[in-house]
Amino acid sequence: MRQPPVNRIARDAIKAWKISAAIAEGVLWFITIALFVLAFMFEFSYWYGAAAVLISGISTFFFVFLLPKLRWRRWRYELFEQEIYIQHGILIVSRTLVPMIRVQHVDTKQGPILKKYKLASVEISTAATTHEIPALLEEDASELRDRISALARVDEDDV
Amino acid sequence: MFETKRLHPAAIIFNLIKTVREFLFAIILGFITFRDESLVYFVLIVAGLLVIFITGNVLTWYRYTYRVEDNELRIEYGVFIRKKRYISKNRIQSIDLTSGVIHRILKLTKVQIETAGTGMSAEASLSAVKLAEGEALRQELKTGRTQQADKGDIAEESAEPIYPSDTICFKRLFIAGTTSGGIGVIMALAVAAFSELEQFIPDSFYDNTVEWVIGLGFIFMIVLTVFLLLLLWLLGIAGTMIKYGNFTITKNDQELLITRGLLEKKQLTIPLRRIQAVGIQESMIRQPLGYVTVFAEIAGGSMDKGEDFSSILFPIMKRDEVEEFLGTFLPEYSGIQSELTPLPKRARKFYLMRSMIPFLLIVAAVGIFFPTFIWAPLILLLVGGLVLGWLRHKDGGFSLEGTRLTIRHRVLSRNTIMMYHKRIQAFEKKQHKLQKVQQMASMRLSIVGKMGAGTHFTIKDLEETHTDELSDWYSLRSQGSN
Repeated sequence: MRQPPVNRIARDAIKAWKISAAIAEGVLWFITIALFVLAFMFEFSYWYGAAAVLISGISTFFFVFLLPKLRWRRWRYELFEQEIYIQHGILIVSRTLVPMIRVQHVDTKQGPILKKYKLASVEISTAATTHEIPALLEEDASELRDRISALARVDEDDV
Repeated sequence: MFETKRLHPAAIIFNLIKTVREFLFAIILGFITFRDESLVYFVLIVAGLLVIFITGNVLTWYRYTYRVEDNELRIEYGVFIRKKRYISKNRIQSIDLTSGVIHRILKLTKVQIETAGTGMSAEASLSAVKLAEGEALRQELKTGRTQQADKGDIAEESAEPIYPSDTICFKRLFIAGTTSGGIGVIMALAVAAFSELEQFIPDSFYDNTVEWVIGLGFIFMIVLTVFLLLLLWLLGIAGTMIKYGNFTITKNDQELLITRGLLEKKQLTIPLRRIQAVGIQESMIRQPLGYVTVFAEIAGGSMDKGEDFSSILFPIMKRDEVEEFLGTFLPEYSGIQSELTPLPKRARKFYLMRSMIPFLLIVAAVGIFFPTFIWAPLILLLVGGLVLGWLRHKDGGFSLEGTRLTIRHRVLSRNTIMMYHKRIQAFEKKQHKLQKVQQMASMRLSIVGKMGAGTHFTIKDLEETHTDELSDWYSLRSQGSN
């Protein structure tokens, strides 16, 4: 179990994550500009605006330029006949085991950004948890979904 | 075999009370704000609404029928939209009978029927039926589940006395009430209530009273404090008595039957196969006295049962009685391990840091904003945090026996939880940079909890080799493939 899972997620995940992070940061920058406008109109200190610029700048650097790549590098998954093995997390590395017989259902999801890059995420639900493998190539995602769903087809009613 | 029936007419009143209670605040507000002529209109509107509610409730009651037919409980209801709900006997997970005070005066009971589905409320809830009727209904729905073919009532009756049962004794209830920690809560409530009331008391009265009390002297103050504490203590006991009075647990073939409550009487069934994990809880006050609470984590279940109750198997018992209790009621969970594999010594600093950080932040904030603040209580809190961190580290641990895993951890109370491999839904190993350097890792286990949400147990800072051992144990892959 010491080996990390072998499969990586799609390389384009980085771009998709960058775009969605950029949108969120856009909102932050908008607030920053609004602060300056308000400071100009109501004549209070520009220091609040300056602080906002600092915060926006740092968070943009982290969330748009730095983290997507690190996150992609850490994200791994592997499918076995008996279980799914997932690794993710930048500072806190987390490795999850989900036995096939515990899987209740599998979904594939695709938002507009993922669609642009022909990506989709797979969501695996057990009776107690949900696990997401984000940003796989569309065909990989649907293949993974079908394989999990086939492997999970065990009639055993423990719950 | 069970002909079509309506609920007891008292159901109308229960429903009416429920509806009125929702509008009570608005009505009171109306009486306060409206004056003169508009008040008359307001009263008229309220009266009109009341008439509509009553008619509506009577109609609802009239339309609500239930019967048992073809091994199904069939409920038909709805005034404008007719709804039919058929629940197959085989799908019924539990049947609970609850009798509130009014129910008990009228010899009625509320029947709640649950299936494995997850939702906020029970699948079927008959708000008022005669007690005998409710018990007959339960018997009817239950027998169909276990033995469809033979309706041998005689065989059933003769089998009944064998079922093991356990009842809480008065002395234990008393101890449970004393150590419930409810005192603290009630005291906080009393203080909050007083601070709210204070503004309504005229100042002169207040001053006079204070003068009077001071005049009576120091001894009187002490007597008063002791008296108040005594009162709070008695209230704590009374609360426990009302909640857990007559607590009885009985084991049938496939389920545990729990009866409890002094005023409101509750009867609950817990199907054995729905139990996900069994644990014992030792609160800070009870642990030194050697008392524990036995609880179970149960899949499904609805909020109606009340958040903490549904999982309590026995409110209080001596630690050394647990073994016998589990042996009788849940033999597969007997054999509690008291010697667990402890956390590594080097994990202690992490635990101490973790429990200190919130207090350190408070201290820092207070230091910056109120430099003249009294420091004594803060330092006390800090020491408390350290002790807690130390205890958490000391109590953490796990133990593997075959397909069963025992884990122990402490938040405030110390919990020992036993669960089987097949009940664990997912296993997660977490490791941050510092843990990696120190070769430690945390683990998180997920089991099915109430209302379809999972219950998660996290043990932090285990020896990394131990986490790997556990994940190997959990992994279903053949070990050779690694």
